Amino acid sequence: MEKRESLWEAYLRRGFSRRNFLKGCVALTSLMGFSTDMFSKVVEAAETKPLPVVIWIHGHECTGCDESFIRSGAPLASDVVLSSIALEYDHLLSAACGAPFEAHLDETIAKYNGQYILAVEGAIATKDSGVYCMSGGHTFTHLLEKAAKGAAAIIAYGSCSAYGGIQAAKPNPTGSAGIERFVGGKPVVKVPGCPPIPEVMTGVVMHVALFGTIPPCDSDGRPKQFYGNRIHDTCYRRPFFDAGMFAENFDDAGAKAGWCLYKLGCRGPETYNSCGNLRWWQGMSYPIQSGAPCIGCSNSNFWDEDPFTDRLPKYGKLGDVDKIGAALGVLTAAGVAGHAVASIVQRNQRENLIDEDHHE
Amino acid sequence: MAIKSVKEVKRKEFYLFSPFLRIFHWIMASQIVVLFVTGLLITKPMNVGATEPVFTNTSMDLVRDIHFMAAFILCASLILRIYGFIINKGDRLFPRFWEGHFYEETVDVALHYMLLRGHHASFLRNPLARGSYAMLYVLLAIEIFTGFAMYLMVNPSSTFGKLFGWVNTLVGSEMMSHYIHHYVAWFIILFAIGHFYMVVRAEFMEGESEISSMFSGKKILAHNPKDANELD
Amino acid sequence: MQHVVVDPITRIEGHLRVEVTVDETNGTVTDAISSGTAWRGLELVLKDRDPRDAWAYIQRICGVCTTAHALASVRAVEDALGIGIPLNANYIRNIMAATLTVQDHLVHFYHLHALDWVSPVEALAADPAKTAELQVAILNAYRVDLKVPNEVVTEAYPHDFPAATPQYFAGIKAKVQAIVASGQLGIFAAQWWDHPDYKLLPPEVHLMAVAHYLEMLDKQREIITPHVVFGGKNPHPHYVVGGMPCSISLTDGNAPINTARLAIVDRAINMARDLVNNYYLPDLVAIGAIYAKAGRVDGGGLSKTRVLAFGDYPLTGYKGTSSGGYFENLLVRSNGVVENFGAGVQKAVFTPVTAEDLKAPEIITEGVEHAWYEYPDNAAKDLHPWKGVTKDKYTGPKTGTPTMWETLNEGGKYSWLKTPKWKGKLCEVGPLAHYIVIYTKAAKGLLPEPTWAEQMMLKQIEVVSTVLGVSAEIWLPTMLGRTACRCLDAQLAAEVNKFFFDKLIANIKMGDTSVMNNEKWLPDTWSPDCMGVGLYEAPRGGLSHWVHIKDGKIYNYQCIVPTTWNACPRDDKAGHGAYELAMMTTHVAIPDKPLEIAKVIRSFDPCMACATH
Ligand code: HEM
Ligand code: HEM
Ligand code: NFV
Ligand code: SF4
Ligand code: SF4
Ligand code: F3S
Ligand SMILES: [Mg+2]
Repeated sequence: MEKRESLWEAYLRRGFSRRNFLKGCVALTSLMGFSTDMFSKVVEAAETKPLPVVIWIHGHECTGCDESFIRSGAPLASDVVLSSIALEYDHLLSAACGAPFEAHLDETIAKYNGQYILAVEGAIATKDSGVYCMSGGHTFTHLLEKAAKGAAAIIAYGSCSAYGGIQAAKPNPTGSAGIERFVGGKPVVKVPGCPPIPEVMTGVVMHVALFGTIPPCDSDGRPKQFYGNRIHDTCYRRPFFDAGMFAENFDDAGAKAGWCLYKLGCRGPETYNSCGNLRWWQGMSYPIQSGAPCIGCSNSNFWDEDPFTDRLPKYGKLGDVDKIGAALGVLTAAGVAGHAVASIVQRNQRENLIDEDHHE
Repeated sequence: MAIKSVKEVKRKEFYLFSPFLRIFHWIMASQIVVLFVTGLLITKPMNVGATEPVFTNTSMDLVRDIHFMAAFILCASLILRIYGFIINKGDRLFPRFWEGHFYEETVDVALHYMLLRGHHASFLRNPLARGSYAMLYVLLAIEIFTGFAMYLMVNPSSTFGKLFGWVNTLVGSEMMSHYIHHYVAWFIILFAIGHFYMVVRAEFMEGESEISSMFSGKKILAHNPKDANELD
Repeated sequence: MQHVVVDPITRIEGHLRVEVTVDETNGTVTDAISSGTAWRGLELVLKDRDPRDAWAYIQRICGVCTTAHALASVRAVEDALGIGIPLNANYIRNIMAATLTVQDHLVHFYHLHALDWVSPVEALAADPAKTAELQVAILNAYRVDLKVPNEVVTEAYPHDFPAATPQYFAGIKAKVQAIVASGQLGIFAAQWWDHPDYKLLPPEVHLMAVAHYLEMLDKQREIITPHVVFGGKNPHPHYVVGGMPCSISLTDGNAPINTARLAIVDRAINMARDLVNNYYLPDLVAIGAIYAKAGRVDGGGLSKTRVLAFGDYPLTGYKGTSSGGYFENLLVRSNGVVENFGAGVQKAVFTPVTAEDLKAPEIITEGVEHAWYEYPDNAAKDLHPWKGVTKDKYTGPKTGTPTMWETLNEGGKYSWLKTPKWKGKLCEVGPLAHYIVIYTKAAKGLLPEPTWAEQMMLKQIEVVSTVLGVSAEIWLPTMLGRTACRCLDAQLAAEVNKFFFDKLIANIKMGDTSVMNNEKWLPDTWSPDCMGVGLYEAPRGGLSHWVHIKDGKIYNYQCIVPTTWNACPRDDKAGHGAYELAMMTTHVAIPDKPLEIAKVIRSFDPCMACATH
């Protein structure tokens, strides 16, 4: 294999000064949530590790994840794609198409065997041998297996790739699933979200590019630095939650005052994502800040945990479990009372029989 | 007269329940009520109705704190109840579903409760009750596991977080833990209603001194109970 | 005859395969197949859900035209339930819609389409100094001044101009050189860079375009910020049935929308206007003029025969699409069909699309003759979307195996797109259709008291005709026209943004901060059985969502999407769809390197996730 250049070399080649380079590293350090004592490590990693090759493949998806990726503000997507990684295969950005493009994929897989990063966007369709998702005349299943074999690391971008996503919602017409079970046992870094926050997406690639290793992950495979907290525990509206100040309806006085959206179904209390701390557009907003309850878009099964504007599912005219439970409670109490009366009647009959026995 | 005929019978005393069971039964019972009420308030908080963050008894922080406090008391009680389970045989009257007669006796008692049979055999603790208490402990365990799986996720990477985080993975998601926690709470309350009735019924109608046993630890029974050997 | 397969088509959204039969003696395409090769079944996922949640699910049809499906969805559900939305909500939705249009078109031109016209390899031959001169010349020549409302001027001067210094272009050139030298071509790998089409433009145009490719990659994220402010994120901002979730308050510090937040939106809107006016349009016209002069006006396809649009931007908080409210006060009244435009605007025939047409069972329909679906035996051949059925029936390819294709079966089923029809006929949709309809209506005197936006569209066509040196009737229905109209549409949308932003501010100033109508929020206020339709003139053309709500739940949900109209498989009676006909009217120089096929397909800005859903 020919020598691949490090991030530092890439900076040199593009005529950046070391000062600029260090500035970039500082930005990265803080972006990735490291303390500054990690800084020297970042520099070292950037100077010595080679520039990684990335192959980005698409299954059942909406391309919202690519779109999010190219919206990254720090690092800029242009810097990532042209300086930090070599993006050799990607349906959205690659110039080539058709047969030469597929041939290039095979060449890349062979040339960088065991060294490239595989980024997967989209779910895998498993029903009927995967005929619901074809690319280049083959199933996506075939492509995923082929590309996963030689990958050094696999990144599952988006809730589709991590957990199956929208197409896996009931009734899951195409048998869609997250990719984890189809990559031959390789560990998968899950970067869920529908889509994930741009800087989370680039941050994960930068971590691999800089440190040459996948970022520290939780037991579900999610990078802790981005998915280590619930939105609820980082939400700027949390004081209103604690105080019991809630928006009861969209656009009511509470909504205008920016109170907690819990009663409008907010899934922040069970959602792991960086929306509350990093936020979107580098701190500009996130759904809750814009008045919309979180739908939990980075959670494994959130599409089937609807309705989104309620905390509990409803069963048509029966209402939710609280309504049903209360009704059952009343019924049980009534049943118990009836049973008590019947028991007393029965016992009295029994006692009478005993008394009669004694008289004899 | 009913009472008279009961009094005529010669009765025998059995010491069953250690103080661990008795004390913590009452503590657990009260905490479950608190947990249920605060739990429902957590899902559907009352409207403070104020435009200022005033101190009210509906403040989420307070309601949640009470819930968590009750949860800790419940867990502590349960642990001490388990201590009773270890040291005292009478605290250990669990359903013996591995023994054939358990099922016959269950049918016997069930037919009685369905008012199809005037009597059922005498027990220290009848098999149906045994089954229902075992069931309740399962429900409590679910509440505790799902409860801590939500409570401790403020920091999932912490030791305690790791200890309970798997619950959310197991049930599919943390939202699912909320659902389960909430639905099971209702099952517990439905049990409590039935349980309350059954013990009152047993005390006053069957003369099985159920309620008093939860204070004194003793049951005073007319017949030799079929499960008396379990105390030996 | 040579059979050429291009699969996957890249720089598009989703999974698209085309097959063409080329006569290698003269480069004509005698038959063409367009196949959407993935299907997710999202219409089925919506069944039995809460209609108030539909926008969130169905928005995931596409992350490129994110917002499009959410908007069509809330419009459809509101139509069914009889909900009218507050003025502010309408303005904000229009801003989000137009913001998408600007951003999506700009990204398409620079990042998805440009590499069909320009090549980094050619850029290496460019002289940076000459490129700087060219940049200045182009800005001088092609800056178009149009009359637009722009009532509240908030931008002191245009902030965003392309750099025109030799040093800048030398830097870009060095960057490209380094990438080529490194051997790791990344996204530039494996393209047919030696195709003669890349020689049409001088090296300086290539270098300038490559520079703008990079600059716009960095800037496009800022155009879309209104989505982040109003909807909390992008892609997939949040909506609510009945209005918008982003409450406005000028007295609460924690409010989603206050003056400071509106200022962010204002800045983004101004930036988008500058980017379109100073980069996109001049670049497009500079490249287009060279192609037009070279006589490259092929690839028109179906646009010469039939185009369809729905029109957009309701001026007020209207109520009811199927009852007519939507069409009553549109800013751009392009709702209609133009047939026979290829024969000249005088011979062209215009037919409006009305609310009655939406409800009529036989006007707008979908068939599945060549699509991998089946209808129930007793159903009609073409179904109105309220009665639409989505039931998959995969039949495999003509040669190869079900999981490994060689050639698709044009005689049978071969695509995951249904075939949408208007009065049993196929139509092309998109910005080109939008402009052809307005142009034709105006020419036929069917556009009484044109709105400022309609006037602007006519003016744009006039200006471009002058620059290209060919009449509108010639350049419009072509591959080039499709790409050009997308740019004009972006320029229009940028001004539409400004227009509705000014209206929003004026309305808030009047004391109206409402963004939500809660009257029919609760299901017990709904009719137990109702149907609705939501329209949106999306970046790729007319979009319609159709919902049937029964007992508070979604009973049936059908989407007919712009790319479904364009990329659909043929119908034996109605003929070929827009993609197939466009390929069949495109000249292919080297069948082994069918760059023109990829180019004409990309002139539609394909979105296959949209199309098949
Ligand atoms: C019999 C025992 C219990 C009952 C009946 C009960 C009941 C409930 C109910 C009804 C809820 C509302 C669930 C929802 O809709 O989100 C709740 C929430 C909760 N409970 Fe319990 N619970 C019990 C035990 C526990 C225990 C042992 C813990 C452990 C710490 C616990 C921790 C929690 C937590 C963390 C929440 C969520 C609070 C929030 O989302 O703000 N619970 N409980
Ligand atoms: C005023 C109300 C209550 C009374 C008088 C009462 C009385 C009793 C009595 C007499 C027993 C022993 C029955 C036997 O050994 O066969 C018992 C057991 C039990 N009760 Fe209650 N109870 C009350 C409320 C509750 C409540 C609210 C709960 C919880 C939901 C509860 C949970 C239990 C459990 C789990 C046992 C089994 C004891 C053990 O094995 O630890 N009780 N109760
Ligand atoms: N076709 C399409 Fe869309 C658009 N524009 C949908 O409405 O791209 Ni994804
Ligand atoms: S995770 Fe969401 S944004 Fe990403 S591809 Fe899937 S549906 Fe689209
Ligand atoms: S808005 Fe949502 S995440 Fe924020 S505090 Fe309220 S419930 Fe928690
Ligand atoms: S919906 Fe998604 S974007 Fe964040 S606030 Fe909720 S996780
Ligand atoms: Mg459809």
